[in-house]
Amino acid sequence: MSAPTTEATGTWTASATGDGTTFASRSRRRWRTVRWALLVLVSLAALVALLAVLRPPTSTTPYDTGNTRDDGSRALAQVLARQGVTVQQVDRVADAVAAAGPGTTLLVPPSPYLLAQQAEALAGTEADVVVADAGHDLLDAVSAGRIGRAERGTTPPTPVPPDCELPAAVAAGASLLEPGLEALSDGVTTCWPGRMSNTAALATTEQDGRTVTAVHDAAFLRNGDVLTEGNAALALHLLGQHRRLVWLVQDPGDLSATDLDAPSGPGSPGESAGLADLLPPWFGAVAWWALLVAVVAALWRVRRLGPLVAEDLPVVVPAAESTRGRGRLYRRARSRGHAAAGLRAAAAARVAHRLGLPRSADRATVVDAVVRATGGDPHTVTDLLYGPPPADDVALTELARRLDTLESEVHRP
Amino acid sequence: MVLTWRAVVLAALGAVPVALWPVPGVVLVWALVVVGVCCLDVALAASPRQVALQRSVPTAVRLGTPVDSRLVVTNAARRRLRAVVRDAWPPSLAAEAHDAGRRAHDDPAAPVRAARHTVDLAPGDAVRLRTPLLPTRRGDRSAGPVTVRTLGPLRVAGRQASIPVGGRLRVLPEFTARRHLPSRLARLREMDGRAAVQVRGEGTEFDSLREYVVGDDVRSIDWRATARRGDVVVRTWRPERDRRVVVVLDTGRTSAARIGTVDDGAVNVGGTRLEASVEAALLLGTLADRAGDRVQVLAYDRAVRARVAGASGPRLLPAMADALAAVEPVLLETDWTGLVGQVRARVSQRSLVVLLTSLDPAAVETGLLPVIDGLAETHQVVVAAVSDAEVAALGAGRESVEDVYDAAAAARGDLDRSAVAAVLRRHGAEVVEALPDELAPRLADTYLALKAAGRL
Repeated sequence: MSAPTTEATGTWTASATGDGTTFASRSRRRWRTVRWALLVLVSLAALVALLAVLRPPTSTTPYDTGNTRDDGSRALAQVLARQGVTVQQVDRVADAVAAAGPGTTLLVPPSPYLLAQQAEALAGTEADVVVADAGHDLLDAVSAGRIGRAERGTTPPTPVPPDCELPAAVAAGASLLEPGLEALSDGVTTCWPGRMSNTAALATTEQDGRTVTAVHDAAFLRNGDVLTEGNAALALHLLGQHRRLVWLVQDPGDLSATDLDAPSGPGSPGESAGLADLLPPWFGAVAWWALLVAVVAALWRVRRLGPLVAEDLPVVVPAAESTRGRGRLYRRARSRGHAAAGLRAAAAARVAHRLGLPRSADRATVVDAVVRATGGDPHTVTDLLYGPPPADDVALTELARRLDTLESEVHRP
Repeated sequence: MVLTWRAVVLAALGAVPVALWPVPGVVLVWALVVVGVCCLDVALAASPRQVALQRSVPTAVRLGTPVDSRLVVTNAARRRLRAVVRDAWPPSLAAEAHDAGRRAHDDPAAPVRAARHTVDLAPGDAVRLRTPLLPTRRGDRSAGPVTVRTLGPLRVAGRQASIPVGGRLRVLPEFTARRHLPSRLARLREMDGRAAVQVRGEGTEFDSLREYVVGDDVRSIDWRATARRGDVVVRTWRPERDRRVVVVLDTGRTSAARIGTVDDGAVNVGGTRLEASVEAALLLGTLADRAGDRVQVLAYDRAVRARVAGASGPRLLPAMADALAAVEPVLLETDWTGLVGQVRARVSQRSLVVLLTSLDPAAVETGLLPVIDGLAETHQVVVAAVSDAEVAALGAGRESVEDVYDAAAAARGDLDRSAVAAVLRRHGAEVVEALPDELAPRLADTYLALKAAGRL
């Protein structure tokens, strides 16, 4: 025990080696801590893996050869493949152009994102082209302006005979395909005419030694409609002309074969698009590496050097709070009377104490004593100590100042 | 397992090969290199659990007095020990080395640098580490664990363990009021041997005879002794000794109020009312003991929190400091009836009972007033209260209208407290109310005045 005025004499000494744990005991404790969390994580992962395995790899993009839904085209692609046609699905126009050489069929299903330049690029291929529900640009480009879109027709109420010599149409027979194409010049064969004089559901023409076929209604490609009337026969005939079929299902972000597609280098037009080409080639790898470094830095900072040491702090009550609250209440209520009375009473009590008056002294005695001590005017002193409440805040401040002055005069020896 | 900044640098260096050959293989290889180096370093690091630690610290220290926690670290393993050792203590003891001595560690977000030591020990070697501490709060403090972070030879990664090593430090009250002690002791000596003019009364006893000097009261001339010695002799008196002084600290809710937020340079700025009471109790106890009175100290709210009785002389101050070190304010209304019962149980004859409390009107009216009569009948009661320096500052504010309203509120509060003090005085108690710094000397003065007047 030590005296508080001197340095401590006693000493507390304690020693320890290790914390009594072993590698095994720590491992057991850690295992007990994490095992439930681990179990939950593993079950979640297993569930996700199971779902991924059970779900066949299909697409949901319309006219995709892997899409098994009603708007997909898996049925047609599978049948074509079984018939010996190599179906190559591409999602970029540049790839389609590269793949569609002579002796292949290029199918362009409805492509709402196709740009005019891409349509030109498609028209420049040497493959036979089949376009389904094509837009003006594409139709114009591939048929060199010979086939045009009429205003939208309506699906015929009853199957319509082909009314042309095209083998595919003849094989298909009657059809419910919607007419909406018109021949703009000679050399165009039209099939399944609409009720309006010059519309047709299918139009085909020979151009630069290749066949360009346009079908207004893309229903014959879809899983849901491929069995309707002669759709299947039409599709197999049109798409099975050659051993290779290039099937373009355009990606919405595809800008290949346009000016917008910044060439990644001279001589390689139509290479990969987007921001990545503006950055140096090592950027991606370094970004991933930076992420890894950030993880290491986090691991470095996350482990603190020992736990925090806790200390009980006493509850502390600020004592002046109640006084401040009272002052604020006076202020909010504009209670100048109460405030002035408090200031005056305190000043009078101090002055009286100073002048040796008893606490019971009445105001006349106090005023007399003050006048004698300071030589002031009795009326002024009476007014100051016992006068009416001040009219406004300025008067209150003034009163406080004058009371201070009075006190200092009394206190002056 | 811990990593150091070197591991981050090693990982960051990998950016160069990755940038030169941006293929996944390089990323993978470098990642494996980093992981491998870290694992190797961890495997080669010494075990933090094979370090013998011995911590020694003084059992008690006065508040504000710098003290060291000494830690002997011995490498008990067969490997070289490269480690960072942290000797953890509670925040109110944490200190940072400074140009001139040390200062309290006041940024809770920053680590305490002075508590971290880098050691590099060969097998079997030991080193003595010194962690500076600066107690800023009264009470018992238990040390935290000693954390040992050992690093591998590359200092890239290592192992860490927090070893619980005992350690306890009792922070005694600062007792800054002891600077008032010499002057009060001088006054006490002056009272001894003084001619009985002013002090003759109930509480004085005959001391000695001495020759008359001009100025002595003729009434104190001892005529018999004068006749015997043929010289004019006066009787002298000294204050009666062996009176009982009971100092009672109220540790109830009013003692938790924070006062003295005005910074006067003391270590304990913003302390509670209890801190000022403890200072006053220590000064009064020491003074009364030197004056030959028997001192008892009691801290009470609804139960006895601390008690000192039977100690005197040089043992009294350590006993008081030790007993009052661990007293904390309790958020309970003080049981005044129980407190009076405690005082009655401890002293039977007339004593000086000093109540260190507050003059909060509501608390006094419901608590102290109903019992003060019973106490004042048998004892001389002194009610000593700490007033708030901040309220005093508010009372002097004249800067703006808001200040004047606050000053009015403070004046009203002063009036309320003076009224309470007047009521207590009517019931026979002495009332001392002073700012935290002044309470201890004022209470000592009141004690001396009572003693001089023989009212003990």
